[in-house]
This record gives sequence, structure tokens and C-alpha cells, in this order.
Amino acid sequence: MKKILIAISLFLLFNFAQAQDLVKKIPSNAFTVATIKGDNVFKLMFVKDFNESFVGKKLLTGTSKSLDKNFTSIEDFGINLEKNMYYFNQLSDSITYNCFLIPIKDAKKFETLIDNKEKKFTQQGDIRTMVLPDSTSVIKWNNNMLYFVTGSISSSFFADPAKSARYGIKDIRFQNDEAIATDSAAVAVDSVATTDYWQEIPPPVITKSHKKTKTTAKKATGKKKKSTKKKTVVRPKQEVEEEPIADAAMDATEAAPAAERVNADYDLYQQERAEQEAKKKRLAFTWMSAQAEQIFNGTYESIESNKSYASSLDNTAIAELWVSSLQDVYNAVAPAIGTYGKAGMMKGYGSLNAKLYMDKKSFRISTGLELAQEQADSYKKIMNRKLNKNFLKYVNSEKALGFMSYSIDTKAYLEEFPKILKQTYGSFLGAKMEEEIDLGTDLFSLLLDEEAVSKVIKGDALFVINGLKTKEVTYTTYEYDDDYKQKEVTKTKNETLPDFLFMFSSEDHRLINKLIKYGVNKNYVSVENNIYKILEKKSPIDIYFLIKDGIVFFGNSLSEMQGISNNQYNNKISKLHKNLLSKNNFSFLFNAKNLVGKVPDSEIGGEETAKKFNSTLEKMGNVYMKSNPIKGRLVSADISAEIPNGHENALKYLFSLIENAAK
Amino acid sequence: MRLNQFYKFLFLVILIPFLSSCFEVIEEISVKNDGTGDVVLTINLSQSKTKVASVMLLDSIQGYKVPSKQKIQQELNEAVAYLRKSEGITNVKSTADFNNFIATISFTFKDVSNINNITKNILAQQKIKATNTSSYTYNKVTKTFSRKYQAISTAKTEFNKLKAKDKAVFNGATYTSIYRFESPVTSSTNPASNISKSKKAVMLKSSIMDLINGKINVSNTIQLSK
Repeated sequence: MKKILIAISLFLLFNFAQAQDLVKKIPSNAFTVATIKGDNVFKLMFVKDFNESFVGKKLLTGTSKSLDKNFTSIEDFGINLEKNMYYFNQLSDSITYNCFLIPIKDAKKFETLIDNKEKKFTQQGDIRTMVLPDSTSVIKWNNNMLYFVTGSISSSFFADPAKSARYGIKDIRFQNDEAIATDSAAVAVDSVATTDYWQEIPPPVITKSHKKTKTTAKKATGKKKKSTKKKTVVRPKQEVEEEPIADAAMDATEAAPAAERVNADYDLYQQERAEQEAKKKRLAFTWMSAQAEQIFNGTYESIESNKSYASSLDNTAIAELWVSSLQDVYNAVAPAIGTYGKAGMMKGYGSLNAKLYMDKKSFRISTGLELAQEQADSYKKIMNRKLNKNFLKYVNSEKALGFMSYSIDTKAYLEEFPKILKQTYGSFLGAKMEEEIDLGTDLFSLLLDEEAVSKVIKGDALFVINGLKTKEVTYTTYEYDDDYKQKEVTKTKNETLPDFLFMFSSEDHRLINKLIKYGVNKNYVSVENNIYKILEKKSPIDIYFLIKDGIVFFGNSLSEMQGISNNQYNNKISKLHKNLLSKNNFSFLFNAKNLVGKVPDSEIGGEETAKKFNSTLEKMGNVYMKSNPIKGRLVSADISAEIPNGHENALKYLFSLIENAAK
Repeated sequence: MRLNQFYKFLFLVILIPFLSSCFEVIEEISVKNDGTGDVVLTINLSQSKTKVASVMLLDSIQGYKVPSKQKIQQELNEAVAYLRKSEGITNVKSTADFNNFIATISFTFKDVSNINNITKNILAQQKIKATNTSSYTYNKVTKTFSRKYQAISTAKTEFNKLKAKDKAVFNGATYTSIYRFESPVTSSTNPASNISKSKKAVMLKSSIMDLINGKINVSNTIQLSK
């Protein structure tokens, strides 16, 4: 088993595609598809380099050791490293299949991986099949591909007696005589199921028919079991010996006192439960085998024909993930978490995809979500705003530790928001609530003058940390005289604080001005040269604000505020920062390098911690996040992490990080 | 976003990442020749007041609930109430300065033995396990004052279970004990302790980290001139 698991996990790590891509083998109703693109991976790192890398060596020596073989290259595993490897799953109400499709280059080499004395595989034509111990998974392969499938039965499906009876499975509960009525009903269906199903596909595990005597014993205790069913009951070998004991216990029940009878009932219950579980397992195995057979020999429509899947692909990605739709995810999980919500929660959200890229400069993860047309239209309206260009004047790229910005159209947002809410959660509240939701939506619009609000808060904002500043603060401590008499003294120390600046656009200042006036009157706010200071005693730092050129600024640095007020702000925005901010509705950036060595050791917790802290920061490039413009019905966002100079590419950098971490 | 929430966001982003604080714990015991005396316990977080003030605005930090000003005051009051009921303890007072984050408790004792286990019991009341046991004795005849201190071994193990981030809070924290007497001190056995010029006081300063790790022991026997 261990060997097989190792073999499988190896395949999960690597994989590889062009001629006869295995994607053709993925059924069109696959729910999730994940791809690792072997050719792209090994463009960044030659197989030879991989074998010699820390991770590669660890893997090869580890596998060699546990399989008692000598592997010198990952090519020894027999996988085709130039093709794509796939994972996909298929969901149904009764079973979930988790499947892997791995391209094979040399089937002989692969077979040496799994070869062992106890476990032999069977061969039919050029297709080899191996069943994993416990019959939980099936592996099938030929000279070009390997298919691994494991299925898990849905317990909620079999909790429904009507459904489970179709497969001769009963939902066993520990109880007593009332069970008889339902039991006999189930039996009727059972016998049908027996002929229909069980005899049709004989279970591949040892079958054993039961003694008639046992059935009678059971009847006597009121726990019925039909002999028709018994004929096909599968039991693990070790259970065989236990049976007479159980039977004896049954026989004794008649004369036994109540407590013992309960015990015996419980034993019986356990036994019956185990029988039913074994049936479910066998059913899962039968289904799995049929599914694997279909993948190898059947003809069906492949996932390639799915437009959403096809359009999510990108040749340059290293790995890809595609999930058919959020709504489907929700509905698939919903029965397990409860009956509500089945009626289409998450309506309006389509497929989801994620792609990983690695190149010479960075790691990048791109994610996308498909929306329903209505939703997409709403988002387009909301996103129809660019960040106020004047904001860019207040970013100093040479010093900035990071920033976060967003721009939405407040008016459109307020108008569209109730609609989106209704679409997403409407069904959750139930059809009966629809009228109330409509009413709420109207009330919301009535109470809010969207237009007016959007003038006060236009919907774009920028939060930027333009470096750190040292500030002198006083504190109380004690000095001791010759007599060690305590004397309270006030000392000063330097504290390093980030200088933040927060700004948002506002056309209509009347409300804000009124608020300020109120604040001044109530002594919440003081004013000097148009710069307001919030008089909040609890706040450990001073916060200032001012309004200029249709922008409301908040910040903790008086000098910065004065600079803004006097048009003497020192701005040096880099191209990257400018593009990030001006081209996207949402952006976030963290520039670790600007933080290196800026924080005094004492503030981080000592020299040693500071050293670690700084060296971690030094190894980090810019990390940033941005939303992309909505394309058709697809909203998407990217997260990128730049790699430091001196590394050939992101994959090699990743390997070096792993190596360092392991040291 | 309400202003309060904005503040919270701000502190979380700009202040908390550098969380390591300096604080002082000071224990002063004045013992008269007849064995009566006074105790002043001080905890001073003033050096870290910016951070403490920021933390106080949050509900919880690094998974710990941040007590409110009211809660701190209440706990202080409970400690005072407990002391007032304790045998031989009188004149109990407490102060709390929430601008500089300094709190003190002071009281008078009839006999040195009255103060044994007081800290431990106060901590136990707040459901905090003490990290050490201390017992104080004063022999009027020989004029010897001694403190027996034993770190509880589990304290170190418990401390080591904390995340590095949480441990860092104790970096730079100090513990100072000062014992004052009417008669001049002739000897003090703890090598880390100092005798004042006037010879009437003994001081011992250590880092709280060293105390927790058991690197330093604050046991001492002080001999006064007869």
C-alpha cells in the first residue's frame, strides 16, 4: 500500500502534453479540473537540474529507500514529463469520484514502482488493472496513460431509505421492535435489488452465504434479516470466526435478562451495521470499476467541449484549476449541510478558475469568476470609475511601504447592491420572502439619495504608508538615590511609526463641513491653517485631516499635511505603482524592501529577532494584488510576488526557498 | 466605517506589527526593626504606552482578549478587597493611571510572614498560575531578613509553549525588588543584589525573561547589624 501511495504521490508532483493530451479523457461533466503542465514546468527547470536539486534528491533517495530500488532520475518513474497531468472529480448525489490522469512514457518503469509480491495486477489486452487493498481505489493503465480513481459514497444519499433500498442497503439504527415494519418493506425492495443489481455485477470480494439457523435466531430477537440478502453479504475474512460467537449470544437472548439482551442487541446492531457498510463499499467499488472502464474504453464527450473550461486555459500557465460553478458547488454540498439553500444559493455565479504562472521575475496567481449576465452588468456599472488621478501626487514610491486603493461608483453601487443581494441570497430566504425583499430594496432606494451620497463619497480611496517616521515620546520611569529611594522621572525615547495617508474624493463638502463645524464646537476637533486635528484622548497617535481639491485627506504626520496644504508634497511615483493604481479598480502593494533596517531593533524585540525580520524582508520583492477589468462576464484578479535579483526564475527560487527552510 | 472602527483598522495595520514592549515590575518592602512594615507593588507600562493604548482599542490581540479599562480597574479593586481581608494587612491603597499605564498597590503589614503568598493568592484569584513561590521571614532576634524564592518548573514549560510572537512581549521587561531597613545591612547573600550607599537598602534588578527561564534566582538572606 505504501509503495502505491508513493507512486501516486509522485504522479501528483509531476506530470506532463501535446500529442494526445489526456484532457480528451476527462468527461464533460467533470466538476473540477486541475492541471499541472509538465512541459512548462520543465522549461523552467531541466529534469537533470531537478534531479540534482535538494527536493529532487530527497524525493529520489526517499523513494529508492522505501521501495528498495535505485532511482537516479524522476524519469525512472515512467511518467511522461512533457505532458499534462490532470486531476478531476465527478459529483453525483450518491458518489463522488476523485480521479487522476497521468501520462505514461514507459509502462514497464511504472510497473516496477508498484511491483510487489502480494499485489499483482491483472492484464486484459494492453490494459492493466490493479485494485488497491480494501478496494477503495482502482488503478488502470496502458502504455500511454494511467488512471487512478477513488470513490466515496455520499452518506446523505444512503440515509434516505427509499434510495438506499434500491441498492439493497438499509439504514441501520440501534433501536428495537418498531423496526420490523419498515424492515419488511425494505426486504421486498431488497429482493428486487438483489436480482437486478447484485447478481448482475458480482462483487469482487469474498462472498459467503450464511447459515439458515442464524437467520432464525435473528427473527426470534425481533431483528429481521432476509436470507436473500445474506447470500451476497461480503465480510472481511477475520469476521468469519466471530460469527458463531455472535450466534451463540443471540440464542442466549431469549432466556437472558433485559440488560444482557440489550448488549446482545447492540452486538447485533454493530454486526448489521458493518454488513451495510461493507455493502456500501462494495457498491462504491462496482461503480468505480465501471467508471474506470468507461474512461478507458468508452466514448463520451470530453471537457474540451465545455466553453467555460476551454476559455479558461492559458498555454503559459504552470498549473490551472477550473471549477464548473459556484452554484453547483453550493448545491453539491448543500444536502450534506442541510436541506435549505438547495433552491439556488449563489445564483449568478458561474465557473471559477485559477492559474499559476512562474517566470523570470515573479510568481503570479490569476483567478477568475464567471458571472451571470445580469450580475456582470451590475458589476460593470459599479466598476465604472477610475481612481482620482490627483491621488497619485501623494505616493512616494521611494519610501512607500505599501498601499491599497479601490474605486467604485458609489451611485451605481448603491443602486445595484440590493439587486445583487437579492440574487445571491434571495433563494436562501425563500420564495415567500421575495415580496419583503422587494419592499426592502425599494425602501433602501427611497431612504438613500444615491446621487447625493455619491457626491459626498465618490467611491475611490487610497490608503498609503509613505515610510516610517521616528517620533520622540515621553514615558515615566524611576530613578533611585543613594538610599534606593524611588524618584519618578520622565524620560524620552524614540518610537518608529509608519506615516499613513488616507484619501477619498468628495465633490460635495457641505455635509463634511457641517460635521467639522459640529466637531469644532464640541471640542472634538481643533483647526489650524485649514488642517484639522482630531482631539481623541484615547488615541495614542495624532490624526489630522484636511480637504483640498475635492479630496479629503487623513494622516498622522503634520508635516505631510502641511506639505499637501502648501502644494509642496514630494511625490515620486514609480511606473509600476502608477500603473497599478490608475489602471485597476482595486490594488494592493507591499514593498518589503523599503522596510529593511528601518525599524529599530528594540521595537521588534531584540537584535536577533530584528536580524531574522530584516533578512526575510530582504528576500521579498514587491507583493501586489490587482483586479482586472471585467471581460465579458468574467471578473478576475491577480496576485503577484516578485522574486529577488540573482535567481534565474521563480521555480528555481521556490526550490531554493524550500532548501533553505529545510536546513 | 465608524471612526472607532477606522482607528482599530489603523492600529492593526500600523502599530501592532511591532509588538514588543518594555514594562517594569517593582516590589518595594520596608521592614522596621520590630518586623512591621510596608509594601508597594508597581507595574509600569509607560514605556510602551503607545502600543498599550493601541492594544486597548482592540477587542483582542494575537488571540488574547484585551481587558477594558473598567475590567482592569475592577480586578485591581478585587485585589484590594482581598488584601483588606487578609490577616495583618492594613492601610491598603491602589492607584491606576491610564494615561501612562502605571498601577500600584500599597499596604502595611504587622509581621513579615503576613505577606507570604500574597502575590500568589492575588494571581490565583484572577485565575493566573503563579510562576514562583516566595516566602519571606524576618527574625527579630538575629535581625535576619530572608526571601526564599523558587521558580515553579512548570512555568518555564508553559512559557515555552507560547508562540515566539507572544514571548517577545516579555523582551525588555524588568523586575526590581527593593528591601529597606531601619538598621544598616551588613551582608546580602544574593550576588546580583546591591546594597545602597546608606547601607539601609538592598536592590535586585533582573529581566523577567531570566526569571521565567530560571536563569536568575532572587532568593536572598540579608543580615542587619545588631
